[in-house]
Amino acid sequence: MAKRTFASACSLASMSAILVASVSLPSLAPAQGRGPTDPGVRGGAAGAGDPITGLSATERAFFEAAKDVFAETDGVPDGLGPRFNLDSCLGCHSQPASGGSAPAVNPQVAVATLLGARNTLPSFITANGPVREARFVRNPDGSPDGGVHALFVITGRSDAPGCSIAQPNFAAELSRNNVVFRIPTPTFGLGLVESTPDSALEASLAANSQQKRALGISGRFNHNGNDGTIARFGWKAQNKSLLLFSGEAYNVEIGVTNDLFPSEREGNAACQFNHTHPESPTPLESEGGASPSAGFQSDIALFAAFMRLLAPPTPASATAAVAAASPSSTTTGSTVVASAGSVLPAAAGTTSTATTSSTTSTSATVDRGRQVFANVGCAACHTRTQRSGGANVAALSNVTFEPYSDFAVHDMGDRLADGVSQGEANGREFRTAPLWGVGQRIFFLHDGRTKDLGEAIAQHASRGSEANQVIQNYNALSVDDRQAVLNFLRSL
Amino acid sequence: MRRLLHLGAVASLATVLASALAAVLAWRYGETILPFAVTSAMPQDGGVADGVYTNAYFGLSYPLPKGFGEGLAGPDPSQSGYYVLANLVAQAGGAGTILIAAQDTFFDKPHRDLAEAASEVRDTMAQIEGMSIDREPAEIAIGRRPASRPAWRVDFNGVGLYRAMIMTEMRCHLLSITLTARDPQERETLAQSLDRVSLTARRDPPVCIRDYAGGDQLVHKVAPTDIMPSRTPIPARIIIGSDGVVRHVHVIRATNAQRKGIEDVLRQWRFKPHTINGRAVEVETGLALRSGGGKVTSTD
Repeated sequence: MAKRTFASACSLASMSAILVASVSLPSLAPAQGRGPTDPGVRGGAAGAGDPITGLSATERAFFEAAKDVFAETDGVPDGLGPRFNLDSCLGCHSQPASGGSAPAVNPQVAVATLLGARNTLPSFITANGPVREARFVRNPDGSPDGGVHALFVITGRSDAPGCSIAQPNFAAELSRNNVVFRIPTPTFGLGLVESTPDSALEASLAANSQQKRALGISGRFNHNGNDGTIARFGWKAQNKSLLLFSGEAYNVEIGVTNDLFPSEREGNAACQFNHTHPESPTPLESEGGASPSAGFQSDIALFAAFMRLLAPPTPASATAAVAAASPSSTTTGSTVVASAGSVLPAAAGTTSTATTSSTTSTSATVDRGRQVFANVGCAACHTRTQRSGGANVAALSNVTFEPYSDFAVHDMGDRLADGVSQGEANGREFRTAPLWGVGQRIFFLHDGRTKDLGEAIAQHASRGSEANQVIQNYNALSVDDRQAVLNFLRSL
Repeated sequence: MRRLLHLGAVASLATVLASALAAVLAWRYGETILPFAVTSAMPQDGGVADGVYTNAYFGLSYPLPKGFGEGLAGPDPSQSGYYVLANLVAQAGGAGTILIAAQDTFFDKPHRDLAEAASEVRDTMAQIEGMSIDREPAEIAIGRRPASRPAWRVDFNGVGLYRAMIMTEMRCHLLSITLTARDPQERETLAQSLDRVSLTARRDPPVCIRDYAGGDQLVHKVAPTDIMPSRTPIPARIIIGSDGVVRHVHVIRATNAQRKGIEDVLRQWRFKPHTINGRAVEVETGLALRSGGGKVTSTD
């Protein structure tokens, strides 16, 4: 009964939020009927997936070794399962290159029945939808849950004979409005983020406090509960370090126990096929390879190193020069019109229907979009620059970079609230999503609910959101200026 | 839940009635003494009724420009004591927004005065690419006479949005009103609407004293032992009566469990009466509470 009441309350709250939004938002919306159009996923060179510039030969060899492990597919003998969401890191983090976010074709569909597995595909997993993990908001007794409930089991797989366990009953939980989703976060440039001192993040957050004050924005950091320092990875900035991020994902997403998470999440002995615990420990003998040092590392250490050494995404202003020089890139299979000087060649196969000159993404509109983005207040949270501190890897040391994030968590209102608390971030708060590389991302917001940048922006506004004033400002802009913002974002 | 809603409605009604009474008294007599119910109001308790935004805590009554009403509500009070009090938008046939916000000065870096705060706004906005300063920070007055109040205003514009930020100090808060319009004339019309603001004030409002709860004035303290672990300080505001007894506790941001525990213990704190010219007066102060052995510190 309690759950039904909760579900009902959620439905009512959601309905109320939608009604409130639909009533209130048009007050500042321009009268023009035609709105801006998301140019779609930027084509051309990926501009991501390479190591950060300035690595030594040894560091580069380490990166390449780590990249290979990041791409490995795990079977049950490697530790996969018994419950899992996918069987490799790369499967989730591949758009537009290794280390990125969810790809256009969801690999979870294929893995559901791989090697004879008999998983039922949950309704929220589709071939062209985002890679997703599922969390339940509450336990059956009504207490807070918030944890990941893996989509699949190894039952039926040829490498898991005798294992018979069931998937969670997602249909039942969905009917109770008890399921929320997360999609993979891109990992480009995270070594710079990890190397940024708390003091620098705090100073950055405080630097534009007067602008925030004029916009209804506050924000705060999610602090690690053990040492009190700023956590900064994950949708709610719930993870302190890349190593922790890796260890948790290896266990929660793939089901592989490791030095940080040594316990199996499924206790059925018939489903334990790898009798070492943890299944992926730090090796005591080198496993060889081109990087002797990497041969001594655990998988999670290598995952962390790969992300640490990944370069930030390269914005279009640099890649476009290359793309524009190629005749094949000046026009594409999509309908985005790329004029001379375009910096946004559209990706083949994207579904944008923009055909007007206002969606032509010239460098001028990108520059204008950057200015508009700052003026209306988007940049108050999506802070353009941060600066790393001293780091063991020289290439990460004292670097000014452009993540477009303050790495703080903000109340995002009813429409985006997921009811999941992580650390100090409550069920309404999310970390400011870094926007670097957003031009080549397919799915947006924490649950991948939209592929449309304009819709993603609109979703920022609802009852209780810190972004309401900024979205009102955005809605008050001319169509051309809103289009410029979208063009700018797709240039990142 | 229904009971809670009922109680909430009663509380809101009481606040609205008290606000209305205050507004009527203010209209009739200018400055007045607010009833006790208003004294216990919270900064975020304001709302719009019949085209008037009222806030009992700040003693503020603002007849909105024609066609304006409440937009989407803002977030809960922040960890640093920042409140979005009202998001007022043109409902139809007009344009513009009015954002009323407040920053608790106990949890903000100290400003010397409003002029410095306005200057900081000006400099921040001037640094934004494409933003122009239309009007340098200047002192103005907002509100109906004789209870008008000094304030500072700075105007700026960029990408076709014309904004003005007006700041004043009230009840230990920096109150800010941000006007946004599509042209300078609209902005000026919105600014002129602030002339209709009625400001009421208690004749003897509590004295704002920063860090008061951390000093020698505190003669009896009970540590909050049952608050949930939190690395982040929990901000609270208290009003200490002229007899040294804590009269009012406002836990600004916390979980319900933390809030209850903190309220219970802070009401047991006792202070030396604070005197000005030999007369005991009420004091309003802020304090930040940290868990971990029940350590309690003043604002920092």
